[in-house]
Amino acid sequence: MTNREKLKDLAVDVFLIDPAEFRLDLKREEIETWDSLGVVSLAVGIQETFGHHFTQDEAMGITGIPDIVRILEARGIRFDE
Amino acid sequence: MSSPRTRDLAWLRTIPKTAALRVSGSVRARVAAQLPFPMVSSFDEIPAGTEVLVVAGGGTLMDEAKHFRARRRPALDLILIPSIWGSGAESSPIAVLNREAGKEICVGGEFLPDAVVYWPELLSTISPARARHACGDAWCHTLEAFLSPLASDSLRGQLAALIGEMLQLPLAVDSRWFEAGARACAMQAKSSVGLVHGIAHALEYPLRARYPEQEWGHAKLCAILLLPVMNLNCAASSKWTDLASRYAIDRDAVWCVLQRLFEPEAFAAALPFLQDNWTKILRDPCTRTNGALIRARHREEIAQVVAA
Repeated sequence: MTNREKLKDLAVDVFLIDPAEFRLDLKREEIETWDSLGVVSLAVGIQETFGHHFTQDEAMGITGIPDIVRILEARGIRFDE
Repeated sequence: MSSPRTRDLAWLRTIPKTAALRVSGSVRARVAAQLPFPMVSSFDEIPAGTEVLVVAGGGTLMDEAKHFRARRRPALDLILIPSIWGSGAESSPIAVLNREAGKEICVGGEFLPDAVVYWPELLSTISPARARHACGDAWCHTLEAFLSPLASDSLRGQLAALIGEMLQLPLAVDSRWFEAGARACAMQAKSSVGLVHGIAHALEYPLRARYPEQEWGHAKLCAILLLPVMNLNCAASSKWTDLASRYAIDRDAVWCVLQRLFEPEAFAAALPFLQDNWTKILRDPCTRTNGALIRARHREEIAQVVAA
């Protein structure tokens, strides 16, 4: 499974969205369930899936999927497969 | 937010105020014989001019009393007498209310009582099964708070110490559970709980409706779900192993407790309800702060991990 597929699976499970709704440019305001609890479970899922523990600043600053990709790519996790 | 004061029965008998008493059925006769206050059968019956409300019962009744006082009669002093341990409702700023649409969770300092009276003699009426379930409730608060992504290092240290103390207690009637249960509840209020509570909130009502003759309450669900959920947590993540090691928790001893709390037949009865309500469970706020991420596919896996 590619990292892009892993991220999609994670977003589907965390935010309870339909897989067809997922896009790499998805913004937080487009997802009703991306609330404060969504941030908590997203952080848990990112740690389990990619081994990265969000700092508090990172978690608070995420405005959409592109921010997650940027943070993970900065740690060597590639999404351009 | 301060903790409620702990008082004794002698103090309660002599409070110089006008009081009303609300008591759950299981301890009504014993409490009425010992306390000189007029009894009411609903909160709406509390006479005007009453200064103190004394409530003796389990978590559900105590939470209703906390909500009633906070929302309807804030001038009343509230004194709680837990008839069983486990919920920790007597020491928590959380009130969980049963509503037609599900559980309503209220949080705030206004839900703390003014005083708590522990009355160990009330425990003599508790059956071994109910006592074991109450222990499961306290264990569930402790372990889910320990694994919560919202728990701080300091809180985990305190919870690890409590786990060590709880391992010394029997899964049976013992008045020391009052203090342990209250501490567990107060600590989970500082972090969160997890999937066990998410499932319990979703299943309590349908299980009671389907099996009215069985005691399907919150504590029983917590007790029987803890092993399957911890199994699931361990399959999804190394968090329990890592944290237990870091805080020097005896994992084998904890696992023995979980196995003793587990009731295979009761879990088998709950499993179809669990699977039918999985989407609702995933949306529960408690599930969303579970120690491991709970996914759609875990609907099937929770049954498999138990079989394994």
